[in-house]
Amino acid sequence: MKKYLHIYKSELMSNLQYMLNIVFRLVNFLLLIFIFMNLWDYIYDNPNELINGYSKNQMIWYVIITEIIWGATDGRRYCRKISEDVKGGNIAYMMNKPYSYIGYSIASHLGETTIKTLISVIVGFAMGLFFLKDFPVLTLPAIVIVIISSILAVLINSLLVTFIGLISFIIEDSNPIFWLYSKMILVLGVLFPIEYFPGIFAQIMKYSPIYVTCYGPAKLFVDFSYSTTVEILLSQIIYLCIAWLMCHALYMKGVRKLNVTGG
Amino acid sequence: MLQAVKNQFNVTVKTIKYGLMREMINKTSFIMNVSFMILNNASFIIQWIVIYSLKDNVGGYSFNQVLLLWAIAASTYGFSHFIFKKSYSLSDIITNGKLDSFLVQPKNVLISAITSDIEVSALGDILYGYIVLAISGLTLTRFLLFTLFSITGAIVITDIAVLLGSLSFWFGKSDMIADTGNSLMTNFATYPDGIFKGLARILLLTIIPLGLTTYFPVWIITTFNLKLTLIVIISTIIITLFTFIIFYKGLRRYSSTNLMISKI
Repeated sequence: MKKYLHIYKSELMSNLQYMLNIVFRLVNFLLLIFIFMNLWDYIYDNPNELINGYSKNQMIWYVIITEIIWGATDGRRYCRKISEDVKGGNIAYMMNKPYSYIGYSIASHLGETTIKTLISVIVGFAMGLFFLKDFPVLTLPAIVIVIISSILAVLINSLLVTFIGLISFIIEDSNPIFWLYSKMILVLGVLFPIEYFPGIFAQIMKYSPIYVTCYGPAKLFVDFSYSTTVEILLSQIIYLCIAWLMCHALYMKGVRKLNVTGG
Repeated sequence: MLQAVKNQFNVTVKTIKYGLMREMINKTSFIMNVSFMILNNASFIIQWIVIYSLKDNVGGYSFNQVLLLWAIAASTYGFSHFIFKKSYSLSDIITNGKLDSFLVQPKNVLISAITSDIEVSALGDILYGYIVLAISGLTLTRFLLFTLFSITGAIVITDIAVLLGSLSFWFGKSDMIADTGNSLMTNFATYPDGIFKGLARILLLTIIPLGLTTYFPVWIITTFNLKLTLIVIISTIIITLFTFIIFYKGLRRYSSTNLMISKI
């Protein structure tokens, strides 16, 4: 574990050199929040009106949290990197190193995105407070639980993206699969809580990655309760283990078949 | 002059053709790229079904009009990324001295540089646009107008990408500004302009020319308006001429990096 923390720290430090890049990447995040503020502002005739159990402010906070968590993985770049490592043969140089490729990739990628995520948190919360002039009521233990749940969400999402990237062992380009995964999470998880979908569909979504990567932490943030906490954290731990096992199995299967040409 | 245009057109068509042939060598990858892009775009229909289950009208747009908005945005993006893919990495081409190989060719530097590669997944965006157009109601007039505005829109967003990329002639590495500007266009293009108020709406219809690329085309395809159609066409020509002027002004400041690259 120590070596992965070291990889994470060194990547984090090297990224501090590229603050301007990070600031520019934040513009996208700001634009999306701005668009959704306008959209929900238009949809809610009265800010206190409840739609599917959510007020306008809760909906906007929900989107701010899910966008921060989704942005923290920066899945598109990460998936492309894993896919390129497999396709380009770079993975062959990492196989014989004294660390797990999956652990290395996740630690190094999260090290890259941490600063951006922290700035997103500050900017997202500032935007929320400025435009909504409201903040969900949360006790200190609740805040700690939301943070833990958010970290778990980012880890699960990173593992699932790693798994998709590793599919390049089987098909040459796994990026199209990532597009579908990302749109599933984005449309069904980032933009709307599960309650917005009809009965059976909502039930299925409770067992999907949407529940553990987006809905869980955002729901705890806008409408905290200890009963949902247990359910969400338990689901996240189960998903984390399954995702890790899936990645490990695919990686082991892939490297056995790996053929690298050239030097 | 006319012969030069014809030659340039032939070279561009051949570049695209060979790019496409190269991409089609791996058939599985090619089909996946195109079909998954269609599915990727289609997933957003769910978003709008949910939103329209809450309200009949969003920003003055009916569900059908939002579909049309998505169709136009997708095919505009598709045409631009398929034909002019390299306009989105122009900043990198300029700062890394990769323009050298285009400067020595007896062809238009800008067009040769931005059409030197294709993005195969963008074919999925183009197809998606036409599929959604068919769903929202296909007539010959709508088809022709849709094609016209997909092309004018693609030219305008390519112009914006070239203008942003050309900043590198003056400011060096400016790819972040270009990327941000380009994603700004894409993000706003798929939401009805009516949900934005005040300054944001004015900016979207003027400085950020989304009116030309998506909003006006949707209005025109819904209810034909000759004046607005002419505004779109004339504005596209003016923006394109302006883009060429800026690029060639910047090109005078370009200096080679002695980078050796092979173009196969």
